[in-house]
Amino acid sequence: MVNIVHGTTKKPVSSNRLADFFINSPQYDGYLYIGYPIIGTAEGPYPIDALWVSKEKGLVVFNLIEGRDLGEFKETQDDSANKLDAKLRSNKSLMKGRSLEVPISVITFAPARADVTVHDDDNYKLCNENNLLETLDKFSWDGPEIFNQLVSVIQSISTIRKGKKKREVQSEDSKGAKLKSLEESIATLDNLQGEAVIETVEGVQRIRGLAGSGKTIVLALKAAYLHAQHPDWKIAITFSTRSLKGQLRQLINTFTIEQTNEEPDWENINVIHAWGAPGDNDRNGIYYTFCKIHGIEYYDFTAAKNAFGRNREFEGACNKALREFKSSIGLYDVILVDEAQDLHPSFLRLCYELLKPEKRLVYAYDELQNLSSRSLPSPEAIFGNNPDDTPRVRFYPAQSGEPQQDIILEKCYRNSRPVLVTAHALGFGIYRQPDAVTGLGLVQMFDQNKLWLDVGYRVDEGKLADGCDVTLARTEESSPKFLENHSTIDDLIQFHCFDTIEEQNVWVAKSIRDNLSNDELRADDIVVINPDPITTRDAVGPIREILFNAGINSHLAGVDTSPDIFFDTDHNSVAFTGIYRAKGNEAGMVYIINGQDCYSSFPNMASVRNRIFTAITRSKAWVRVIGVGEGMKKLALEFELVKKNNFKLAFHYPTEVERKKINIVNSDTSDYEKKRTRTKKGEFDLLLKDLESGKVLIEDLSAEKVERLKFLLNKRKK
Amino acid sequence: MMPTIKEVRNQVEKITSELIGLSMCDHQNFPALRELNNGLKEIGLKQGCNLSIALKNMPYKEIYDELNRTQSYNIRMLDGALIQIMYEFKDELIRTHHLAFFPSPYLEEFQNNPDVYLEDEIYSEVVMKSLVPFPIRFDYDSNDAVVKDVDHPMSHLTLGQYRNCRIPVGAPLTPYYFISFILRNFYHTAYEKYCDGITEFVEGFSETITDNEKQVLHLTVPFIKHGIFRRLSNKIRGS
Repeated sequence: MVNIVHGTTKKPVSSNRLADFFINSPQYDGYLYIGYPIIGTAEGPYPIDALWVSKEKGLVVFNLIEGRDLGEFKETQDDSANKLDAKLRSNKSLMKGRSLEVPISVITFAPARADVTVHDDDNYKLCNENNLLETLDKFSWDGPEIFNQLVSVIQSISTIRKGKKKREVQSEDSKGAKLKSLEESIATLDNLQGEAVIETVEGVQRIRGLAGSGKTIVLALKAAYLHAQHPDWKIAITFSTRSLKGQLRQLINTFTIEQTNEEPDWENINVIHAWGAPGDNDRNGIYYTFCKIHGIEYYDFTAAKNAFGRNREFEGACNKALREFKSSIGLYDVILVDEAQDLHPSFLRLCYELLKPEKRLVYAYDELQNLSSRSLPSPEAIFGNNPDDTPRVRFYPAQSGEPQQDIILEKCYRNSRPVLVTAHALGFGIYRQPDAVTGLGLVQMFDQNKLWLDVGYRVDEGKLADGCDVTLARTEESSPKFLENHSTIDDLIQFHCFDTIEEQNVWVAKSIRDNLSNDELRADDIVVINPDPITTRDAVGPIREILFNAGINSHLAGVDTSPDIFFDTDHNSVAFTGIYRAKGNEAGMVYIINGQDCYSSFPNMASVRNRIFTAITRSKAWVRVIGVGEGMKKLALEFELVKKNNFKLAFHYPTEVERKKINIVNSDTSDYEKKRTRTKKGEFDLLLKDLESGKVLIEDLSAEKVERLKFLLNKRKK
Repeated sequence: MMPTIKEVRNQVEKITSELIGLSMCDHQNFPALRELNNGLKEIGLKQGCNLSIALKNMPYKEIYDELNRTQSYNIRMLDGALIQIMYEFKDELIRTHHLAFFPSPYLEEFQNNPDVYLEDEIYSEVVMKSLVPFPIRFDYDSNDAVVKDVDHPMSHLTLGQYRNCRIPVGAPLTPYYFISFILRNFYHTAYEKYCDGITEFVEGFSETITDNEKQVLHLTVPFIKHGIFRRLSNKIRGS
């Protein structure tokens, strides 16, 4: 069975007929790429219509004829074979001496022509469905030992090595050397990621995966791929963390140059923030654009907060814009949304309305990034209904030959298994001591237990069902071994408790110095994260001062003029950051200071647990969680249990009733607060009634309290 | 005693380190002390800085962006303001200094998003709506070819890049005088809270202002005593 990877093409009819042919020819194997690859040549990008990679036939290029006009099809055949040949020759693994080890055949496929045999000759094959089988059967190749290399060369869409300074290492087992080899191992996309880049849906497509599964890279490359195929399309790629912008632009730039030998045309491919503000192009954003072109009032952050309340700013602004716009003006051909879990569904609706009728919307999200049991609603719910009550967007089960609407990237390439499982264990409170209120250790849990499987866990013992005991483990498939084999588990992740903050600070500064002088790490391999956003500024000052006096430069990724750049451009400054800015970034060595702030918090237990989760998952290799006091000790104890359980999650899956209890007590949502206000209001109403009826006299209340109330009321009047 | 170039460098380092410790500084560069020919020594910025940009006739935003991009500063403050400190000595005597403060032209952006930015009320002035960010320079040049009585005082203050704005200043400034001026006036709440954490350096340079210059509105550099700033601040705070 041929695996069909359905990219974007300007020849949809002939492409579909070719795909149909292969679906109906189950005797063949390999991959058929439609609308891929694009070859960068001196004259610019050269797109191949379709390419079949097969163990028995080698490479078969298809030039597709959409209508009846054959044009100079022989010349085109020579051209495409030469271009592909030239591209492949640069790969040593495919060469034997001076000749390419794999045969390249070319077929012009013109399904609308019945008279193909008239023009067909031995050197230049012209086919429709009738003679295609017969033609293909004449091809043969007996070099399947290099088949896997061949696929990986074709699939290696782009090297995703960052534009970082080259790493120079002296000692083979230093941390720097380990990081170097890790970076090399993940420099190419795997098959699943490659397919996710190419597969293009005429409509809505979603991509799910854990942090580190490559969603951002897939989205960026997808944007670049679509741009290379359709330079005239208006494409937007949007995100909520501004520190992602630099990274996205760089990926798109590298990819476009590799594929087309040309710089991307930034007029047509916009890397813009979800919100945006008036001003130059750099500050543009999706919401701002939507308001501008539809003539709707725009809210900035402060205005939105005043109008819709804290934590509902963007949701409120988007909903208001959606209510007020009259008819949709399609501006973009494609919009790609990264980190959709941090954006309200109303924003996705807004993107949908901003698209031309094809509605090519791609959104990537991480079900676990927020850990809270709220994940995004189903696409059917997000995009609403047509006038006839049918959903505007519908997801169908995957069908062979059709591009996938729903892609799951279950492999995590950033965090090793021990690091990731620790992050999950702490984030969910799997091994937390049960508290008195809920009687449970868990602080949050998914309503749909199947989600655990989607993110790469397998049931090791027990049963994954409400009210059952279960042990979940990651597989070698979803957490590749090479991510953890480079270091011992005790080196991968450490927890340290100190008596005082000063001791903690001195330890961190000393460790960083060791990293730089002995471990061959670079300053930009290190990031120091403080989990409590309010205290970050004060918390990191003293450590940075010690470092400065030791001749080590550092910076606080704060609000400065270039919020789009997280790491220092010169590579010689250690990044310090609060948790919000850490999102979306990664580093080899991650220090999490003041870990005690993540043990517990009232009333919002889940939010501090989410912070430690986010902080730990920033690490490409090593994690150090440090802190002081009781909270830190207990947190370290939880980690000991994770270790004892061999980095598996063993717990009792809560029932629906238990989950409700957990959520009410711990949840991120403001339901708890709402309820509190409601009770208080009720009590006040009662008091007021009693005062009016004389049941309670003003004199019954303390004079001081009456004064305070008076003061409050007077203040309101002014 | 007038400070030597080494002492000046120590002051810059100490002040930078303290501002980091107080988290008023988000990024910084180490001051470089270089020996040039003919007995010339300078404290400057690292290689690759673009200093001439500040004098060009172009929108302030572009000047600021370029300085920030090329890291042409000693200190980048928490609100994005850039501070440059440069000195040149010949035969152990001060020859020139260039002390500049470039506030971020993007303050307005922060005004729109104070929550992202404002983690503590002590930085309240930097998000005032009515604020107009403009650069401030204290320049000193003892070169006879440049100096012109009253029109171009040896030590002078330039506000907002106005071409002929040279307000006479009594003497060259030490890094400490300059930084405490900046903190006191543009980071007042933070200064009040933290001034105890900043080491005082009382040594100053001798007076260079002419009698004619004293006839126009000018700034005097006080000869300060140990602890005076601290006492003044405490007095103002009423403690």
